[in-house]
Amino acid sequence: MAALFNRTNFNRISRIPPAYFVFAVLLIVLWIARPHMLNINIMGIFIRQVVPLGILVLGQMLVIRVNSIDLSGAGVLLLINFYISSSMFPGASLPFFVAISLATGLAVGLFNGYMVGKRRVSAVIVTLAVNIVLVGIVQFLASGKPPGDVPSIFSDIYNTKLWLIPTPVLFWVALALIMSLFLSRFVYGRYVSSVGANPVAALFSGVPVERTVIVAHTIAGLMTALASLVQTASIAVGSVRVGHELPILAVAATILGGVVFGRGEGGVWGPFFGVLSFALLFVVMTTFGIGEPGKLITQGLIILLAAIFYGLRTAKSRT
Amino acid sequence: MNRTMKRLLTGKDSRQGRWFFALLIALAIIVWLGLTTERFLTSENLFNLVAQAMPLIITAIGMMLVVLVGGLDLSVGSVISFTTAILALGAPALISIPGVFALAACIGLINGLAVTRLNVHPIIATLSMQFIVLGITRILRPVSGGDVPQIVIDAVAGSFYGIPLPVFWGIVTVLIAWKIIHGSRFGLHLFAIGGGIASGTDEATHNFGVADKQKILLAYVGCSCFAALAGIFLAGRIVSGDPNVGLLFEMDAITAVAIGGTQLSGGVGSLHGTVIGALVMALLANGMNSANISAFVQTAIKGVILLLVVGLQSRKKMGL
Amino acid sequence: MQVAATRIGGDVKKRIEMSGISKAFGGSVALKNVSFELLEGSVHALMGENGAGKSTLMKILAGVHQPDSGEIFRDGRAVTFATPREALDFGISTVFQELSLLANLTIAENMFLGREPTLRFGTVDYATMNRETTKALAELGLDLDPKTMVSELTIAERQFVEIAHGIKADASIFILDEPTAALNAADVEVLNRHIRRLRDEGKAIVYISHRMDEIFEICDMVTVLKDSELVATKPLAEMTPHSLIAMMVGRELKDLFPERNAEPGEAMLDVENFRISASSEPFSMTVGTGEIVGMAGLEGQGQQRFLRSLVGQFEPFGGKVSVRGKALKFPVSKDGGIRYLQSLGVGLVPEDRKEEGLFLTLSIGHNIAMGLHSRKSEFSLAEGYGEKIRETMASMSVQASGPAELVSALSGGNQQKVLLGRYLAAGMSILLVEEPTRGVDIGAKSEIYRLLRGFANKGGAVVVLSRETIELIGLCDRLYVVHDDTIVSEMAAENATEHNILDAALSRQAGQVRLETTP
Repeated sequence: MAALFNRTNFNRISRIPPAYFVFAVLLIVLWIARPHMLNINIMGIFIRQVVPLGILVLGQMLVIRVNSIDLSGAGVLLLINFYISSSMFPGASLPFFVAISLATGLAVGLFNGYMVGKRRVSAVIVTLAVNIVLVGIVQFLASGKPPGDVPSIFSDIYNTKLWLIPTPVLFWVALALIMSLFLSRFVYGRYVSSVGANPVAALFSGVPVERTVIVAHTIAGLMTALASLVQTASIAVGSVRVGHELPILAVAATILGGVVFGRGEGGVWGPFFGVLSFALLFVVMTTFGIGEPGKLITQGLIILLAAIFYGLRTAKSRT
Repeated sequence: MNRTMKRLLTGKDSRQGRWFFALLIALAIIVWLGLTTERFLTSENLFNLVAQAMPLIITAIGMMLVVLVGGLDLSVGSVISFTTAILALGAPALISIPGVFALAACIGLINGLAVTRLNVHPIIATLSMQFIVLGITRILRPVSGGDVPQIVIDAVAGSFYGIPLPVFWGIVTVLIAWKIIHGSRFGLHLFAIGGGIASGTDEATHNFGVADKQKILLAYVGCSCFAALAGIFLAGRIVSGDPNVGLLFEMDAITAVAIGGTQLSGGVGSLHGTVIGALVMALLANGMNSANISAFVQTAIKGVILLLVVGLQSRKKMGL
Repeated sequence: MQVAATRIGGDVKKRIEMSGISKAFGGSVALKNVSFELLEGSVHALMGENGAGKSTLMKILAGVHQPDSGEIFRDGRAVTFATPREALDFGISTVFQELSLLANLTIAENMFLGREPTLRFGTVDYATMNRETTKALAELGLDLDPKTMVSELTIAERQFVEIAHGIKADASIFILDEPTAALNAADVEVLNRHIRRLRDEGKAIVYISHRMDEIFEICDMVTVLKDSELVATKPLAEMTPHSLIAMMVGRELKDLFPERNAEPGEAMLDVENFRISASSEPFSMTVGTGEIVGMAGLEGQGQQRFLRSLVGQFEPFGGKVSVRGKALKFPVSKDGGIRYLQSLGVGLVPEDRKEEGLFLTLSIGHNIAMGLHSRKSEFSLAEGYGEKIRETMASMSVQASGPAELVSALSGGNQQKVLLGRYLAAGMSILLVEEPTRGVDIGAKSEIYRLLRGFANKGGAVVVLSRETIELIGLCDRLYVVHDDTIVSEMAAENATEHNILDAALSRQAGQVRLETTP
């Protein structure tokens, strides 16, 4: 114990996102308990399931890095699912759905960003309230019943594969690559690090702090829209209940991936592995017969433990 | 305009915040409902309205304790559901009622420890607690059902000289809360700690010799216990344990606290403001029900109100 | 003086003895093996430049910090204080340097915070609190309603309330950490009367101040700290202001500051009819190329508010500002102001480098390059600026393993250089510098002065704010004295002394006609 909490060791270990450890542990558990599941076809299907989460995390990671949070994803998801599965836009084409989804994500993201960045309202409250409003509207429009079916073109695309790997997974990896490059090669990435590390210092070094936060929320909104499209394609039907746990899972995966509120550090790949850890976690929990309540508890514990881990680290580095 | 009036209207240089505004809104809704709805201004209807609002008033009071010290508790909704589930296990009231308070205190203790000792952001700590407690509740009681002790049902359902019993319990609770918040050193210290946090001089109270961490911890414990009390009320009313009864209660409680003029950054607020805030919520629900507005739209409208109220508060800090 | 000298001669009791105190915060050492004795019935001055360790030493005595090593003896017995409360219980009362009153409490609540009297059932006894507070304030000649919220008080009133809070306590040791920074001469005299009374009652008082004349007027003993170490403890009777400063600085003052500039060039920054708030008088000021101009005066008189309103952090009431002859769109916005001014070559170096200036968890390279990055739009490619960063680090002689080192690992002086380096690297031509050398050692101080002078000599213009008047006098070419949110006087730094700056600041308070400052 003493050795573990020895400061230099602790610091060294705590620099590595916990997601990598969790991923390794789960992989070993799975390899011992269910070795036959570790083949590319089965894993591909499992990973494909978490692609919406993975895309959502790309946005969540960005807002968390600027010390904000976005919990409005479930409402956006329901709304986009409703566009596609109800008879709201009869006979609309795929590009139309993509466009209106992105427009919705953009609008919600801009609104969140404006409220958080300009009006300085608590991000949790704003995005939760936006979520409540959107969920209420969709449930009202759908009268609380599942709206209908999703055009088959969505599931057709969803089920394709490219070189043995499901297309949605490739789409996710491509988005993660773009995000990673965007943050490392463009000035915006420097702004994000600065605002996350110290917003006041960022302001005094000439960073447009409010705009950085607004852009982060806007990108998060767009990511939510893309995640919603993939999620809708995966369930292939309309629903008024789907995905309410996604935003908070995205927070969990992001924290697990080494991105911490108000630290300005962290990259795209830690949270990426955070999402993969969740994919494995679902597999492990399902194979061990743990139900929905158990999953809730596990998610809660993971967020809490990861947050405590970072809390201790900040406390250590302060003294 | 003299200073007292200015304080009342703007909430500036006052520790009680903009509660007067909430009072005006409440009166406006009462006038509106009195004019448009038949039998609204009967004592029976008004008492029922207050009785209906009791769980929210109680939860909001608890929420206010943590908001005063710059925190937030998102786990109260789960604690309420959890309480109903425990009460519905069928244990005798003598065991189950102290039991729910003890369990709630434990939940609050973990929240408070995470925030004060382990350096976890209040929202993250209580959000994960919301999930953990909800999970446990769903294991205990996957769907609504079970037997709530008769004494709880009687205490909530009965009335005395035509006044529903919850109104009396409510008065007792508010008096206790008043003692805690406005009539004790503990309450004063909560304001002081919150004021320090809001203005970025967190160490000030500590330098004055106030045991700040311990008091923040107690605020979280108190918040959970108030939520448990609200859970007991609800269990008596729905006569069963329900894993979903507390869903989104935290949002309503935060809205009520914010409407009542309490600053979410800490250090400014009042008990009467919070009670009025909760009553505004109840009046709105009453009005929307009588106007036949769908429950889904009501949820959406509550969200919009929350956005408006917190959007009007100005904070220094950006972010969570 | 006479009284004091005899006191020290006799066998007076040592109230407090701190021996071999050391303290480090993270990597930076705040105190190295410092010993300090406090005698009963004496007023003991604790001197040293900003960051020399005075405040840390006193915070250890007040129980705010715990020493890493060393011991504290109270009347000969070893004691430890885990909290400020415990120190107070041992009879040690403190007036902290930072204004630590809580704005959302009343004066009385602040005065009694942490030890409120209670009635039955734990109700706070407001009647007693208000009565006692009125009495304590009246003793200091203050007529304030104890039920007033602190948020409604002026800075000087707040400082008085802090003093009242500190000296009212039933204590035998009093720590006054810069109690007079925001007070005028008359108020200081009121305070001095009380300090003398406490001394005559046999209490022990530690007095920290930047104002030399106060020190010589009220104190018996002086202890000087420099760069976290003890220099000496001496009776003040043996000292002169000159020798005391030399002891604090560790060298002759004139060696610390670089040569002044001969003649300022064309105007770089021109401010006309500027009004900080609706109720303040308008003023004008100008800074030319090659010039370093200081804003002097009592603390909190609007100096910082003025500089920050130039970059949009406060909304001024009105005025005209032009940079190199080009009129600004004024007032500028809060979020975009700093960016806008930086695009015109005006950089504001904020006062608190840890809270407002640096990204402590990020690298030196990131910290320096941010000034360059932020001149670009977010959607342009980020350049590496490797050469520029190395160049800046070398020209400022930042001591670090390399640009990748985290800023939090650096000493205060090097951190300050990195902060300044950001604005120099970004090619600013006008620098607005708040507290250029707060909490840095003497070597770094002299280097920073040299860097600022070098910047001015290359055609830049500098406006400096500092709590240390000696620094302003030594570093600047010209001083503006600020009082009550306006400029009340202008003087050449060469002819300025602490005394005539204070005089200039306060002459207006006495009701005299404001000096004409516009050239």
